[in-house]
Amino acid sequence: MDDAGLFSGGPNPILLVVVPLGFAFALPLIGFVSKKILKYIPVGVFMFNLVVALRLLPLVLKQPILVEIGGFSPPFCINLVAGPVGILFSALIALAGLLVAVYTLVYIKEGPEEKYHILYLLLLTAATGVVLTGDIFNLFVFFEILCISSYTLVAYVGNRAGIESSVKYLIQGAVGSSLLLIGIGLLYGLFGTLNMADLARQIVSVGSSSAFIPMAFMITGLGIEAAIFPLNSWLPDAHSSAPSSVSAILSGIAIEVGLYAVVRILFTLFGLSSFFLFFVFLGVLTLLIGEMCAFSQNNIKRMLAYSSIGQIGLILFAFAIATAYAVTGGLFQMISHTLGKGLLFLAAGYMIVRSGSMEISSLKGMGKRMPLTALAFTIGAFSLVGLPPFIGFPSKFLIIRSALAEEALIFNILIGLILLGTVIEGAYFFRVVQVIYFQKENEHQKRHEAPVAALIPMFLFMIAIVAIGIYPKLVTGILDSAASELLDRVDYIRSVIQ
Amino acid sequence: MRSIISILLLAFIAWGIVTVIGEIPFGTEKSRVGGHYVDQGREETGASNIVTSVVLNYRGFDTLGEVTVLFVAAIGLGAALATRRKKEKREIEPASLVLYTGCRFLFPLILLFGGYIFIHGHLTPGGGFQGGAIVASAFILVYLGCRGRRISETVSKTIESLGGLVFVVVGLVGLAVGGHYFLLNFLPKGELNTLFSAGIIPILYIAIGFKVGSELAGVIDHLMEESE
Repeated sequence: MDDAGLFSGGPNPILLVVVPLGFAFALPLIGFVSKKILKYIPVGVFMFNLVVALRLLPLVLKQPILVEIGGFSPPFCINLVAGPVGILFSALIALAGLLVAVYTLVYIKEGPEEKYHILYLLLLTAATGVVLTGDIFNLFVFFEILCISSYTLVAYVGNRAGIESSVKYLIQGAVGSSLLLIGIGLLYGLFGTLNMADLARQIVSVGSSSAFIPMAFMITGLGIEAAIFPLNSWLPDAHSSAPSSVSAILSGIAIEVGLYAVVRILFTLFGLSSFFLFFVFLGVLTLLIGEMCAFSQNNIKRMLAYSSIGQIGLILFAFAIATAYAVTGGLFQMISHTLGKGLLFLAAGYMIVRSGSMEISSLKGMGKRMPLTALAFTIGAFSLVGLPPFIGFPSKFLIIRSALAEEALIFNILIGLILLGTVIEGAYFFRVVQVIYFQKENEHQKRHEAPVAALIPMFLFMIAIVAIGIYPKLVTGILDSAASELLDRVDYIRSVIQ
Repeated sequence: MRSIISILLLAFIAWGIVTVIGEIPFGTEKSRVGGHYVDQGREETGASNIVTSVVLNYRGFDTLGEVTVLFVAAIGLGAALATRRKKEKREIEPASLVLYTGCRFLFPLILLFGGYIFIHGHLTPGGGFQGGAIVASAFILVYLGCRGRRISETVSKTIESLGGLVFVVVGLVGLAVGGHYFLLNFLPKGELNTLFSAGIIPILYIAIGFKVGSELAGVIDHLMEESE
């Protein structure tokens, strides 16, 4: 099969979606043979995806690969556009998926495990589909898979809080999906096509007033999943009551994929540039509200969840500036957030298991009880705050520098607010680190580290965070061409419709 | 206050939809894509039902996604219910003889009709989803009329998985045969309007029919367990 999938020297990008999907369907059958090997399947699948994505990366940097499904030519078929953005995100999703799947080997021990693994596979498959597809309705379909599997994974533990927040998430998410679908329907009515490149081509020729209403519907709908203020009230509950392995994916991948869809629709589909000031303000507002709420939390997972809202605000701010520099910074911050937040949730997960409570005050003495996990948490926290030599530093630095390059008074004020947000972020993360290392615990407890299979993914996250932090050139080349793909819609249209 | 805001928001959404719909030129042949499907659909796919040619050939990837949406929903329901404790069994009053016999009599006929709908999906209105739903309705009839009868979870899970796998594997075979087109219609298209036509479309629709039927029956089974 592998040979047949060869496409212009590399594997066919469709395999990134189809292979995990096939394994998700096959998982119940494999479960009949042996229940024990089920949990290793996500590990293998995302290893495969990571290899495929990394092999495709150098190819798509030269030229985006157009995948025509069914053998018809666009706009008559559904097509994937495997450009630098799509493959970069696929690689990131596969990496996070692989590491969290390794963590899951020891972390998930109870409940309907077979269903957990199926839902986990489908969640990340759908995320990959969203970032690769070049068809707006196909994006909706993958979005649905992503949302529905998130709803159920949030309720996986089965306690009251989990089910309640899952239902809350379900209702808000369903409203969001409906708005997105209405927007897509209106666009189809107006232009008679669902292909994103074809739509983009025609939207230029029509005054943007008729395109504005569908756009507002779609952005509002996606904004719920992307957790943009004021559409994010579901997030703290959902991310904090899910199992920690799921929280890592929801925070690190799911909301970023939502934001990717927002950005793709704004940049490529509608080619807006004058309306972006609105999103600049919205980004800063989301950032400040997220960070301030995080500051007042006593529950570690709720704190991390609110911190994700803050980070999304920062990323939205970067994209809304819409210069090549700023978009590069936004993409960089996405990678930085996936790695940092993934690491934080994984580390917090085992600290919660050992202490038996999600209260920050119960983490006293963790620096001695589980030194490696505590170190992982600290590095994740420092990276998110933006301290060198971790990945958070170059990414935040790039965003600030690109905002400074705008040379407008308003941007100087906004940068001040963002730095204020970073100070708040630093305050609450340092408070946790201080509790972990410097507060004496009431009774002395023996050292009890997280299991090795949980430490390995944390360790790999740490390596990635430090390596890119010290040597940002590892990714900046890819980020640059990804940013130019997002900004150059004419090139995007030309690469799909010859 | 809250209800006023909700009403205003709804009115705003309605205004937006109405405004845009007002601009859509209904009844004109504006859409190039739609026109292509109507004019070329039969020739290019071999399916005389144009809707099917769009659903399974031009936009087959979406259908794979939709099949997955249903799969996720069924699995998710199972996962959500699995965490709840089993309640005590309630006393069930058996149905009357007429109802019992009637349900058993209708069951195979409904199955046959469902099968007919999805096997002829490329020729007549209907298809895998519709046929599958009809098949599931046969099961719900038995569940309601002949209390105590259960489908085997193993069998329904197996059919569900196999249905999805057939879709993916047929797509991958297309990829292997055609070089780089996933879901390529690689089988001969046959003669229009005959049962053995349209290449891979009937195979996919049969797989979908089985999958949807067993999935919905499984959902009913889960919920019945919950209500007892």
